[in-house]
Amino acid sequence: MILYDYILSPSCYKLRLLASLLDVPLELRAVDFHPGREHKGAALLALNPAGCLPILVDGDLVLTESAAILAYLAAQSGPNWLADGDPQAIALQQQWLSFSHRLAEALGGARLVEMLHFDGDLEALQSDGIAALRELEAALFTRRIAGGTFLVGDMPSIADIACFPYVALAPDGSISLDPYPSIRLWMRALRSLPGFIEMPGIHRLHELAPDPFAKDLS
Amino acid sequence: MAIETEARWVPIAVSCDILDGTVIPARLPTGPIAVWRSASGSLYANGDRCPHRGMRLSQGFVRGETLSCIYHGWRFGADGACQKIPAHPKVSPPKTINCGPLPVTEANGVVWGAATSPVDAPDQFVGHDALRSLVVAASTDAIASACEGEWVGEAIAVTLGGQNTILLLNPYGPAEVLVIALVPRGLTAPDLVRVSTALEALRRSAEAVGEAA
Repeated sequence: MILYDYILSPSCYKLRLLASLLDVPLELRAVDFHPGREHKGAALLALNPAGCLPILVDGDLVLTESAAILAYLAAQSGPNWLADGDPQAIALQQQWLSFSHRLAEALGGARLVEMLHFDGDLEALQSDGIAALRELEAALFTRRIAGGTFLVGDMPSIADIACFPYVALAPDGSISLDPYPSIRLWMRALRSLPGFIEMPGIHRLHELAPDPFAKDLS
Repeated sequence: MAIETEARWVPIAVSCDILDGTVIPARLPTGPIAVWRSASGSLYANGDRCPHRGMRLSQGFVRGETLSCIYHGWRFGADGACQKIPAHPKVSPPKTINCGPLPVTEANGVVWGAATSPVDAPDQFVGHDALRSLVVAASTDAIASACEGEWVGEAIAVTLGGQNTILLLNPYGPAEVLVIALVPRGLTAPDLVRVSTALEALRRSAEAVGEAA
């Protein structure tokens, strides 16, 4: 499987992340998204006429929507990550996958304006982003009352992976994550998963690694 | 006046939002702070600024009984003293390097902080426990008027989702307030969700009041 990838793209990262969590090898093709705009060039437009990333190519199959690619990876290598059978879980998973597009538009949009100087109404994007974060915080708090940690069911799913990167990178769009304790706990749980990988702006939990100075301080 | 403000307990977080071995950002009227719980469960607070390069310590991590800065790994203990500078592993850090420990205590599932040690314990709310916190982009007056609650000292008593709820307020600014909601102990999960939903509605009304004003 070939992933046309940009290291700073949260939508590409979510696919690298799920692939790593599921231990699925991906062949990465680095795309010069910025400043080269290679995704708008003839070769990549031929693969994805929408002119955006990610693009996953697996034999004859070409997928260009990150939610679809998450579902494809999970169905092949991690069926536990995909809601199945329970109508409520299936519907909720779809709802969060759709919600992740709102996160991409608002939080991702603010980030592109702040970080890569794209055109956009920063204040409106930030305000939409805060509304989405508040909605996520309230939903995760409700999950905590029920003893849950993740968005759907008892286990992490593609719904969590779809939403996580844009939330974690909200500060790149000058949107603070300080007011959201339930989001903080949810992100911590995701970052604690075996196989978790980093991207620029999302670091691993150092405390999970052995203490390099354990001997000095004891 | 300044001393009076500083030697006063301020509600800063909900206890169960700070797991053992984690750090969170919080605010006192004097400025941002880092609040952390060690691996053994002890709670500490200090200024949210590493004495090395000014990085926010709330972005750091907790290992054992110490808080480390995410930037260069300077490590601080319960007394705020720097214990380790990873780039100079053989150096014993001088006692003058300190991240400024602050008084912190817990009651009713609420974490209270202060800039200097208050004489008295924080307010007690018998039979109540913290539910959740949320930041409202409105003034304390807008919150009080939106919920038609009753001032009880510096808190607001109000019926939310059918429950006797107490709102603790920590104003971050003229139009930004941390609200911590306390509810009667022993409510069922659906009751708790109803109060949480009512809090979201209260925030919308308070922010609408603020915009109209």
